[in-house]
Amino acid sequence: MDAVNTHGLGRTYDSGKDGTRALDGVSLKIPAGSVYGLIGRNGAGKTTFLRIIGTQLMPTDGSAEVLGFDVVREPRPIRERIAVIPQESRPLYFLTVEELVDLHLRQRGMARAEAKERTRKVLADLDLTRLSHKIVNRLSGGMRRRAMVAMVLASDAEFLLLDEPTTGLDPLARREVWAAIRQASRDHRTVLLTTHYLDEAEALSHRLALLDNGKLIVEGTPNEIRARVRWPFRVTVPLTIPEEELRSYGEVSAFAGGHLVFTREAQARSLTELALKRNLPVSMAPVSLEDVFLQLVGRPLDEATPTEEAES
Amino acid sequence: MTGRNRLRSLLTIAYWNGVLPMKRMPLFLLNTIASPLSFLFFIVVVSHGALLLYGVAGGIVLTMLSIGTSVQTDLSHYKSDLKLHDLVVASPVEAPIYVAGLALSEFLFAIPGISLFIVIWALSGNPISLSSALLVVLALILVWAFASALGFTLATYFEDIRETFVFSPLLSLALTVLPPIYYPASFLPSWLRPFAYLSPATYAVDLVHQAMGLTNFNGIPEPYLLPAWADILALVAFAAAFFVIAAKKARWREP
Repeated sequence: MDAVNTHGLGRTYDSGKDGTRALDGVSLKIPAGSVYGLIGRNGAGKTTFLRIIGTQLMPTDGSAEVLGFDVVREPRPIRERIAVIPQESRPLYFLTVEELVDLHLRQRGMARAEAKERTRKVLADLDLTRLSHKIVNRLSGGMRRRAMVAMVLASDAEFLLLDEPTTGLDPLARREVWAAIRQASRDHRTVLLTTHYLDEAEALSHRLALLDNGKLIVEGTPNEIRARVRWPFRVTVPLTIPEEELRSYGEVSAFAGGHLVFTREAQARSLTELALKRNLPVSMAPVSLEDVFLQLVGRPLDEATPTEEAES
Repeated sequence: MTGRNRLRSLLTIAYWNGVLPMKRMPLFLLNTIASPLSFLFFIVVVSHGALLLYGVAGGIVLTMLSIGTSVQTDLSHYKSDLKLHDLVVASPVEAPIYVAGLALSEFLFAIPGISLFIVIWALSGNPISLSSALLVVLALILVWAFASALGFTLATYFEDIRETFVFSPLLSLALTVLPPIYYPASFLPSWLRPFAYLSPATYAVDLVHQAMGLTNFNGIPEPYLLPAWADILALVAFAAAFFVIAAKKARWREP
């Protein structure tokens, strides 16, 4: 069963002649129980897509079903089954971490005893127990974000929508959130995740969708997406091999320490052998998602899009 | 959500938005009664004590009216500063439960102020009968209802908290300047009275004046604007109208 099924989903802000097309005809399916990553630059349409799925924003085109319910006509049964961390959201500053999670669960209608137990468990899972009686305002930005993640993970929602949940977290804290997201998936919950961190998307997601300028560029498992690009392998060689020689293997770009050659598997192997014969350092690997993004979109991930303002 | 879960949700919202801030930041309480008490002081001094009970009546009504502004400010703060509106929308919490929870929390904030005014009323030597107390409570509940619905509807339209800072005082002026909140209705020029009917606060204060037995001022019989039943009817109509507007026009989900 699919947790999400969209057909030509679109959203135009400030409809009219000068409307900004933030989402443009996106059709995709998110399998239930999976972790699904949405990647793209700022303004690519990730948050717009997530807010439509979360019934917070009306679409202007197309249709979307979440857990079998239509987002426009049947928001209530969807809301009963989802929990969301909005982008740039901040917790209520005068509560303790424990109160924040516990009261969030009780606000969702959960009984006191169950809320207490779930709060205790999630705080332990996210290494927040030692901070449970601290007022949120006295925590660092990263800790506050973690407390928000705890609120959502502790809920009984079967579908979690996390809009950049690890922004501002240190690497260790990110790993703890990752572990909690993986646990949610093992508990058969569906997770829709937007992120700027491609390592995070790759580490967590069963499937990924790449959005750019509101359009779906590619969708699939990380390996399927890699297979879709023209050059699925990368070879790094020193600058001593001339660029003209490398061009016969594939696409070449220079960086401070050497040449980066995007190529196919057979050519990657022969280039590696060539470098080894010349006693030169060489490395060969499948392309990263960053490389895939660059090849498919033609621009790096950290470059903003014209629709960024509309989405934010 | 079952009915029991809805009640639990409502009380939880009232707890985190009312009880906890009162416990942790008691200065908030002072803020809710500062304006009505200042007005009372000013009126009592200027009238040499003659308008004490009018000041008390005004303080009670103004404290309840300010709930609408508080609901609006809180909602705008949670929406634009903390980005928590989206979190609540995408959850089992329904809009009426969320608003009722916030409105209840503001009611809790108003209780100490209203209690203070009632104590002043009692100490002034004027009797408080059961029927007059019930009439005041009814007026206050109706003011609470329409002010909360109005505050909610407006808050869903604001994109930024600064819009609230600009609009809230204007709303307060519209609701409180013309109605005879702090003075006898006889002070209001007759040609202005029809305009006073446009504000629901007029009916609330008229009802409270009647409940407090403010039948004349300096020997001049007090021209109540309407009989008590008509005031109640008007307040019910305003509350119902604001609820309908909230249900139809409030932007719970971004259109």
